[in-house]
Amino acid sequence: MISSLLRIIAIGRNTFTEAIRSKVLSVLLIFALVLVGCSVLVSQLATPGLDPAGLIDEQIKFVKDFGCGAIGLFGAAIGILATAQLIPQELHNRTIYTILSKPVRRSEFLLGKFFGIVLLLTLCVTLMTLAFAAALYWQEQQGVAYADSIYGQTKNWQADQGLLEHYNHDVAEIHAQVRDPRLVEAILLLFTKLIMTCGIALLISTFASSSIFTIVTTLMIYLIGHMEGTARTFWLSHGAETNLWQSCLVGFISLFIPDLNAFTIVDEILAGNNVPWHHTFDLIGYAVVYLVVLLSVAIVVFDYREI
Amino acid sequence: MDSSASVGSPLAVQTSGLTKRYPLAWKRKVLVALDHLDLEVRPGEVFGLLGPNGSGKSTTLKLLLGLIVPSEGEARVFGLPTDSLEARQRVGFLPENPYFYSFLNGDETLRFYGRLCGVNGSKLEKRIEELIDLVGLQNGRERPLRSYSKGMLQRIGLAQALIHDPDLLFLDEPTAGVDPLGSSQIRDLILRLKKMGKTVIFSSHLLEQVQEVADRVAIFSLGKKVLEGSLDSLLTEDRGTQVHLPAQLSPDLQQRLRQVLAGAGFAERDISFTRPRLSLEQLYLRTVQSQPDLASNDSRSK
Amino acid sequence: MTGLPRTFRLAMIVTGILLVWAPVKIVWEQRIAREQDLLRYHGVAMTRHLRDELGQGLTIGVLSGMRSVVADLVWLDVTNAWMNQEWFKMGGYINLCTALQPRSVTFWDIGGWQLAWNASVAAAEDPTQPYELRRLKASRFWIDKGLDIYTRGIENNPESWRLWADTGLLYYQRLALEELRRGQPQAAAEHFHDAAHYYEQAVLRPNCPTYLERFAAYMYDDAKDDQAAYQAWRSLWEKLTPEQRLMKIHFPDRIESRIRALEQKLSIPKEKRVFPN
Repeated sequence: MISSLLRIIAIGRNTFTEAIRSKVLSVLLIFALVLVGCSVLVSQLATPGLDPAGLIDEQIKFVKDFGCGAIGLFGAAIGILATAQLIPQELHNRTIYTILSKPVRRSEFLLGKFFGIVLLLTLCVTLMTLAFAAALYWQEQQGVAYADSIYGQTKNWQADQGLLEHYNHDVAEIHAQVRDPRLVEAILLLFTKLIMTCGIALLISTFASSSIFTIVTTLMIYLIGHMEGTARTFWLSHGAETNLWQSCLVGFISLFIPDLNAFTIVDEILAGNNVPWHHTFDLIGYAVVYLVVLLSVAIVVFDYREI
Repeated sequence: MDSSASVGSPLAVQTSGLTKRYPLAWKRKVLVALDHLDLEVRPGEVFGLLGPNGSGKSTTLKLLLGLIVPSEGEARVFGLPTDSLEARQRVGFLPENPYFYSFLNGDETLRFYGRLCGVNGSKLEKRIEELIDLVGLQNGRERPLRSYSKGMLQRIGLAQALIHDPDLLFLDEPTAGVDPLGSSQIRDLILRLKKMGKTVIFSSHLLEQVQEVADRVAIFSLGKKVLEGSLDSLLTEDRGTQVHLPAQLSPDLQQRLRQVLAGAGFAERDISFTRPRLSLEQLYLRTVQSQPDLASNDSRSK
Repeated sequence: MTGLPRTFRLAMIVTGILLVWAPVKIVWEQRIAREQDLLRYHGVAMTRHLRDELGQGLTIGVLSGMRSVVADLVWLDVTNAWMNQEWFKMGGYINLCTALQPRSVTFWDIGGWQLAWNASVAAAEDPTQPYELRRLKASRFWIDKGLDIYTRGIENNPESWRLWADTGLLYYQRLALEELRRGQPQAAAEHFHDAAHYYEQAVLRPNCPTYLERFAAYMYDDAKDDQAAYQAWRSLWEKLTPEQRLMKIHFPDRIESRIRALEQKLSIPKEKRVFPN
């Protein structure tokens, strides 16, 4: 067991090293970091003329939404691109022969490759989260400065208890929105969704003949996954009433495509709503089990593949 | 591990009716890449696989390495199924074109493959030093493999094949694209491995080199093994006699010998006197090796 | 199993795994969806109407799980429409954003302000409309639109103090004060009462600022409802700790002064007064 784990880790580290030394992925990551940081530029388009609380509310919402949106988008791009070329590149370069001629099981090879992607995404999401935190911090400072400038227009405003009360509340709100510990929950859910998407890409790449096919199919499943909830509801309530083909198609989506829309509760967290941790762990648990199923099927398919 | 041949010890390689078929899509035909191969290789032997491109040599190697599954028949390595981890633990493989990660340097490559074979920690580091010395890659060990020449890639390939001290080595075209000096070093290494008791199975198109190192060979054609045996038994011709003398014969002496042989019943046209010829490789090696030590004086390697 | 063709064996194993997982998946997803419905997450489902409103690009954005980014991009159009004084367009965009993200208080908060203040004031001062009554009617139309936004916002976010407070402010500034300006004290008093009600509700919500606690009392004062005002000021006084009274935090002087005045006005018996002396 230990030796198996060591082999998986060795392959994982190698995959990770290959990915971070790849120019394409490095450029993508730098671009992502810049875009996450530039979410503060979007905040400058907030509605003018609002009171400090309202304005900062809107600006922080923009930074959170665009920052996390960039993390999700680029995380998916990096993850899908890196995963899609794992197997085809090994087959094309025939490096897989040298590895599988060693005492390495095909399952260990596949799990090691996936582990490498997980390491890569962990690094990318961490870096993007740091850029996001920097953007939020900058916005926070801007917000406090703006509140200071607005309240400062009244002479000796700090002596006025009423104004002071308003100011203190506004600044406390700014801090609460930016230093919201629930953002950790949001990033965790984003990361989980990314890993699931990479699991789908890995499964497809075990039988696909090219990276392009894997990328396109994964993107299609990614989009359909956001409508799976609607399909499932329809199939369970009206499946028997529709024609056979429609029922089969909707049924297939409901039974096998993951419900990715469930993870968009990240938007609720960013909007300041409370998502209970037990619900988050439920979603993570669902993702982990789904991933186990995906990887099991991938291992079986890859085992039977002629290389 | 004692891998010398003895009564009762398993054969290094044993195949029985080993067959590989590839169905060709759309054409409803089947390509028979290997057709009922029966092969035995004893431990400690150097065995050559010969044949034109597409004759089944690479398919044989892939089947013995457990990379592909046979359509029929069986293959065993030291009595173990070829797809088992235990079998692969005792096998090292040098691929034809170096199938390695170009972004890794020499040390990283050996470290990676060593870990895959269960060699870790200080034992691995010591082994890496030994192999770097053995294959002569001191100057290139910290460069990425994408900057290596063909010869250097073959060396690192040999090193990774030996990282876990296997008992059986598969070398696919080990000297392809390598300069004559490098080729002779690889040839010497194969002989050294044989002295260490390793079994070596290699395929090559360079027949002269096979002749110099192999104990036995098999010749493949169109997926079938058509000939197998020791080099002595295969190459010795029953017709004719060769006489070797350390000096040239004068024309007069040659004429007297012709008369003697003609008297014994040999026709004029069947008698020929020729001067021994060096092979081009022998001349090259003699010339190059007489030069001062290249590695230490080559400013490119600093 | 070992005697069967490889492809067949592969298909059997994969089918087996998926057949075991599929029902578990359905049950698990249904449970997650039920819980998310209870917690009132997600906006409206993608419909053809929504797709037409958003256009192809933004629809794909929503389908890619970037609902909040799409809503923010549409929100930028709200500001543009305001700048161009395209009020109906602005109203449409506000409805779209709130449909996409009904649990984002920001959209309801600012959206209601845009309609009940900016749009209604623009309508009241419309230089192209010569008739005052029509201008007032148009202005009132936008105030009602703003009120509708706040009401729906509260339905979707009942725990948000800000939306309750915004509604209170709307009743106070846009309705009560307007009625007073037009010499309608009775109508104004009703609106002051409504404002007070909403401020009282805001105070009950988490993280409500302390200054709002006084606003209900102010509204009762403005409504000339002395009894209600007295109760409101009195409960404010009773909430203050001795330290807050001593340190003059949360305006104890003002509260005391109002209570004394109202106790005098309402002739509260001395033994029942907060300040008998």
